[in-house]
Amino acid sequence: MQHFPILSIVTLFLGAFLTVIFGSKNETVRKFIALVASSISLILVLMLIKPVMIKNNVIQYWLGNWRPIHDWAIGIGLEVDALGLFFGIIAVLTIFLSIIFSFKYTKKDSETDKYYVLFLMLSGAVLGLVFTGDLFNMFVMIEIMTFAAVGLTAFRNYQEGALEAAFKYLVLGSIGSSMVLAGTITIYSQVHTLNMAQISALLFNNLTPSALFAFALLLAGFSLKAFVVPFHPAAPDAYMSAPSSVSMAFSGMVNKAGVYAIIRLVYVLFHAMDFKSVQILLIIIGTITMFIGVTMALAQNDFKRLLAFHSISQIGYVITAVGVSTALGLTAGLYHALNHTLFKGLLFLTAGAIFYATGTTDLNKLGGLARKMPQTAAIFLIGAFSISGLPPFNGFVSKWLVYQATFQANLAPVTIIALLVSVMTLASFIKVAQSIFFGQMPKEFENVKEVPLSMRIPMWIMAILCVITGVLPNIVTKYLVSPAVTAALNIGKYIDLMMGNGYSEKILGKPIEIPAVDFTLAGYWDPIAWLVLFALLLIAVTIVAVAGGFNAVSLPTEVDDPKYDVFFSGEASEHSHVKGNDLFWGLKHDLRHYFGFMHDAHSGIINDYALWAIFTTTIFIVYIFLLVP
Amino acid sequence: MMKGKNRQVKDVIVKTAADFFTPIALVLGFYIILHGHLSPGGGFQGGVLVASAVVLIYLGYGYNEVSKKFNMEIIKKNEALGAILFTVFGLAGIIYGSVFFANVFTNIGDVGDLISAGTIMFMNNSVGYKVLTGVGFLILLMIGLLAPDNDN
Amino acid sequence: MILVNYIACIILIVLGFYVILTKKNILKIIIGMGLIDYGINLLIISIGFNPGGTAPIFTFTELKPESFFVDPVPQALTLTSIVIGACVTAMALSLVIKIKEKYGTLDADKVRRLNG
Repeated sequence: MQHFPILSIVTLFLGAFLTVIFGSKNETVRKFIALVASSISLILVLMLIKPVMIKNNVIQYWLGNWRPIHDWAIGIGLEVDALGLFFGIIAVLTIFLSIIFSFKYTKKDSETDKYYVLFLMLSGAVLGLVFTGDLFNMFVMIEIMTFAAVGLTAFRNYQEGALEAAFKYLVLGSIGSSMVLAGTITIYSQVHTLNMAQISALLFNNLTPSALFAFALLLAGFSLKAFVVPFHPAAPDAYMSAPSSVSMAFSGMVNKAGVYAIIRLVYVLFHAMDFKSVQILLIIIGTITMFIGVTMALAQNDFKRLLAFHSISQIGYVITAVGVSTALGLTAGLYHALNHTLFKGLLFLTAGAIFYATGTTDLNKLGGLARKMPQTAAIFLIGAFSISGLPPFNGFVSKWLVYQATFQANLAPVTIIALLVSVMTLASFIKVAQSIFFGQMPKEFENVKEVPLSMRIPMWIMAILCVITGVLPNIVTKYLVSPAVTAALNIGKYIDLMMGNGYSEKILGKPIEIPAVDFTLAGYWDPIAWLVLFALLLIAVTIVAVAGGFNAVSLPTEVDDPKYDVFFSGEASEHSHVKGNDLFWGLKHDLRHYFGFMHDAHSGIINDYALWAIFTTTIFIVYIFLLVP
Repeated sequence: MMKGKNRQVKDVIVKTAADFFTPIALVLGFYIILHGHLSPGGGFQGGVLVASAVVLIYLGYGYNEVSKKFNMEIIKKNEALGAILFTVFGLAGIIYGSVFFANVFTNIGDVGDLISAGTIMFMNNSVGYKVLTGVGFLILLMIGLLAPDNDN
Repeated sequence: MILVNYIACIILIVLGFYVILTKKNILKIIIGMGLIDYGINLLIISIGFNPGGTAPIFTFTELKPESFFVDPVPQALTLTSIVIGACVTAMALSLVIKIKEKYGTLDADKVRRLNG
């Protein structure tokens, strides 16, 4: 049982190496190896739910059997507690569904063995990041993740802009990793150990200036991996150019690895959530991320670029909820992270299905595909309603918790901005649905068919999971989210289990008291009642439609009568599709100065993007030196 | 005419120097790999030195000779073989009853011998093999892109 | 704890950031990324130095339980960091080769087809 975490990481790496030897000529062999490796990993991680989450054990595992000597840690340790396992479950689910989707999706590409090798290494690195208990091991896993991600972004190098997106991602990712390394080294020179539990014990009440400098550098480095706002410009380019099954992995796994690292840093390593200034910093960054993400998304012309900006905006929700450091805030943040993987993965897979069927993702060229691809349209609508926060889907539950948490902490402006962002999200998804699925179809898409079955199965699985986590929030909270919140706030137990019992008492002098983790979901939210109401309305509409209440009388316009010619300038109009871009022209015209400024600021030049990153790091360093005592 | 004769003299000097230095580079590189558990060095450093023999042969003989001596497909498969060997030696810890990466071959030799130190020696040699094939493949790939412009 | 080493590290890292921010040729940006990596490697090595210590090797120097040696952990960290720096340079150079084939130029002001 204790070998399961390391085995689930090693299986993925072994699968990658075996694909190089055996899979370079034969296509069936490489698909078989990828499927077997990801299934074994999924089963091993799911079998860890019962001991870790339900019985509250923590698995600690010293590599090479180097146990601590004289209370000093000398080896690399893995520590799997409920917080790490929560993110691990999200990661393996994404890997498994993405590999099933990519069997048919990469049919037209050449050299797909390199695709599977890079993808398996990316997944092994993410699992290694969330299960480890050592700070330098985290840095190495971040580097492997960045390399695999850059390789996968440039995979389709005949596509417009894929190579420059990969180059920008590499430069910005390298700056972030260098800052993480500099922070690690500064911490090492202070405490002479690299184990996270021991660092947390030794830094308890003595935050010297070099520890504060390291905190600022580590926070900036991990924020760059999670793509929070001033560090974000490489993200839309990279999500747009990668193949869709890989974009789903980026927004589902790689972002969450950055969020996990921020939570581990701020809550466990530095105990920094007791300072009011750190809470305010996280809340300000989260709010700016939410707002800028969604306003940039309203003006986009490409489907996947729009989805990437929405992904940035939802991560802003998570960071804001984590910054409000009550138990309710942390529950809201973690629940929204789980929901975001599910509905954002669903939307990216829909984009992939449309690209497979029609060959383009430009919103100005598509239209009216709901008649030819009905299942894809239904799945897209489930995803769009989830992300906007409509009941009975899962977005409503987590956004309701975010509103409640920020309101109870006396932060009413943040609640108002969060509500506004929800409304604008719904607006931009109505624009996308009108552009792609409804309306009139251009002539060149006459032969479009529905996508094959092996691409539809992952989409249906994710849609069903969206509905389940929305309708049964009590079960999800009790079994998955609450153990993770308790593990994040209960630092004394983390230190004791890693270094032997009684260590935290010796160093810290007194046991750390555990804050009371109980909360009540206010309001009269009963999801079963909303589902019954929805079903009743659907039955009513169907009865009326069948009985003939919606038959509109339509006048033919191609009648050859010269008295109609004055309305059509002599010709009958053929194509009168209202494009999605025309739906909000009033809003875009009123705010044209803001939209023009933002369009010019995202200029595409790599020196500008590096300038934003370095400037924000400087502000972090100055803020933390001035305000944290 | 002068240019042709000078070119011939320079070619002879470079070819002789490459002939002289290639065995030295190979022996030094393998020495550093094999003595990784006894002295500074180890897998990565020795592997890069061995892979530099590829560059020396390219400087002396040109791209055509180099591409005839090394077959790129076999080098790529050997690199993955080195990585698999490393992981298998790590898993040997679990098979013999201890944890991952544990040192289980503790009764092979004495301290200071060439064959001693248990699992560390095996893992060090497999890392050295992986690095020498991997860096050699990378150098061959980049030299191959220069070939049509800079022949010989 | 040598002062000259720390001053040299800071100069290298600041020069690396300056090159990434102001130079327009893509190859110069790659050199800047390398400079940042080398500066941090020098910083790692300088932290683990104890004045008067000997090398931490067990067989060739007589290392008794009371001898005074330099810290071996930062040396292992530096090795990993050098390997990572070499891999970043290799990957960036292969991307630059394909960019030159496709775009025809190496100027950062012209490689910007994705913007807004």
